[in-house]
Amino acid sequence: MSRRAIFSGLALVVLALFVLSLLTGPAGFGPGESLAALLTGQGDAVSLVMREIRLPRAILAVMVGASLGLSGAALQGYLRNPLAEPGLIGVSGSAALGAVIALQTGFAAMFALALPFAALTGALIAVLLILALAGPRGGSLTLILAGIAISALAGALTSLVLNLSPNPFAVSETVFWMLGSLADRSFWHVGVALPFMAVGWVLLGLTARGLDALTLGEDAAASLGIRLGRMRLMVIFGTASAVGAATAVAGAIGFVGLVVPHMLRPLLGARPGLLLPASALGGAALVLAADIAVRLVLPDRDLKLGVLMAIVGAPLFLHLIYKTRRQLA
Amino acid sequence: MTLLSLKGLTVRRGECPVVDHATLSIGAGEVVGLIGPNGAGKTTLMRAALGLLPSKGDTSLMALPPAERARRVAWLPQSREIAWPVAVETLVMLGRVPHLSGGQRPGPDDEAAVAEALHAMDLTAFAARPATELSGGEQARVLIARALVQETPLILADEPTAGLDPGHQIATLERFGNLARDGKSVLVSLHDLGMAARHCSRLILMDRGRIVADGAPDAVLSPDRLADVFGIRAHLSRGPDGLVFQPLSVIP
Repeated sequence: MSRRAIFSGLALVVLALFVLSLLTGPAGFGPGESLAALLTGQGDAVSLVMREIRLPRAILAVMVGASLGLSGAALQGYLRNPLAEPGLIGVSGSAALGAVIALQTGFAAMFALALPFAALTGALIAVLLILALAGPRGGSLTLILAGIAISALAGALTSLVLNLSPNPFAVSETVFWMLGSLADRSFWHVGVALPFMAVGWVLLGLTARGLDALTLGEDAAASLGIRLGRMRLMVIFGTASAVGAATAVAGAIGFVGLVVPHMLRPLLGARPGLLLPASALGGAALVLAADIAVRLVLPDRDLKLGVLMAIVGAPLFLHLIYKTRRQLA
Repeated sequence: MTLLSLKGLTVRRGECPVVDHATLSIGAGEVVGLIGPNGAGKTTLMRAALGLLPSKGDTSLMALPPAERARRVAWLPQSREIAWPVAVETLVMLGRVPHLSGGQRPGPDDEAAVAEALHAMDLTAFAARPATELSGGEQARVLIARALVQETPLILADEPTAGLDPGHQIATLERFGNLARDGKSVLVSLHDLGMAARHCSRLILMDRGRIVADGAPDAVLSPDRLADVFGIRAHLSRGPDGLVFQPLSVIP
């Protein structure tokens, strides 16, 4: 398959799933009626549902999926480790911790941007801690270890916050939020997340050539003129920005950044640079598909997107490890 | 023309100098063999010369911006890393990165350079194979081809012939000799002193971080130095086939 065929194929899948996502929901309008209301409606109930509920939800699915897929591909390329993902360097966990603290202390209710702001702060603290731990010239291994330590710490602190919470309702709200979902989101969420995600996409997109060169190892890449220190900062800030924003609006959604690059890598001749845009598209498709599935599988039980992703993603990931264990050894 | 010049280059690991006031200069058209026992500081010297390690003293390469340096010198590290199962030709094409501006796709010139390097390293048949599926020696040749396509005036190679069969060892060093005839130069660290004596125009001998000898192979490989630095006795003669060096025994 040519490179062009793969990218057009992925773009078509995203487009098809986007339309399908717009047509999926409990309101039960016909497809023609829904699309007409979306494009030309005049403030009636159908066009309100389409424009204020389903459209932002589908757009968020694309944004969150692209951010998670792209971050996963960039981290795997940078760490030269197919098991890397945003959760690994502790960014997702710390973003979730920031959000949990905001929800538990009531900070989230104080002003409109408080929740995403808190999640972004958590992601940023994780990034700065990793930089401090791994040092300016630290190798990939140091980064992985620093990430594991920070993930563990963020997980422990999240548990502590929930453990000490005096309010059982707030605890249950927080636990549900942490499961990850795109239900009941609006254009407000799109507007909050987009600037941060866009910065992350640009930073990560610019690392493509450096990631290709890094296939030969850090020394050889440096001798090819790649500025490793700068690239490292771009990977880390890009990931923090994209994943922090995604966690802020959708909660913790795992496995996208892990599974998507795994599935696309063989199609693209394993080139880390090409894998970036492909994983962004693939991530968008996967999150769109999963978000359609949660509405179809258990329409009246509010199945959480993050739960479904983990249930589907974890066995798939086990399968991938099994299949690639020879290369991993 | 000087392609590399080091003045008083010193690298410390803690208090201990790993490279101690190394001074050398490499001009055009040389194959310089860097020899010395394990831990003499050969790899550290080359990495510091490239600016990959913090060091004291002067190296002519460190002052260059990274992109410019990548067009002046290619580096072939000892560790043969190939992280992903990319095709051999794709991997070799990475050597063209310094010649491409941001976002530029490789053109016919780049394709031709890759094809030439693959041919030189006897890899044309492997061009489309994933590099990770090749044997260790074949991977080493792929990485040498990657350094060749960088088309730099100077190549620094750290034990490029380790793990190669005799035919490909000789082919690699003869390739370096051809580059030298075109006015390019190679600094190559070697453990096989016989190969070094035959194929290098000059040898630099290191011992415990210091450069202890620098000159023509037969002058550097004197019995006293071999005894001093390597603790060995060897046969060295110049016959109709050129210099022949054969280590004989360890001096007790």
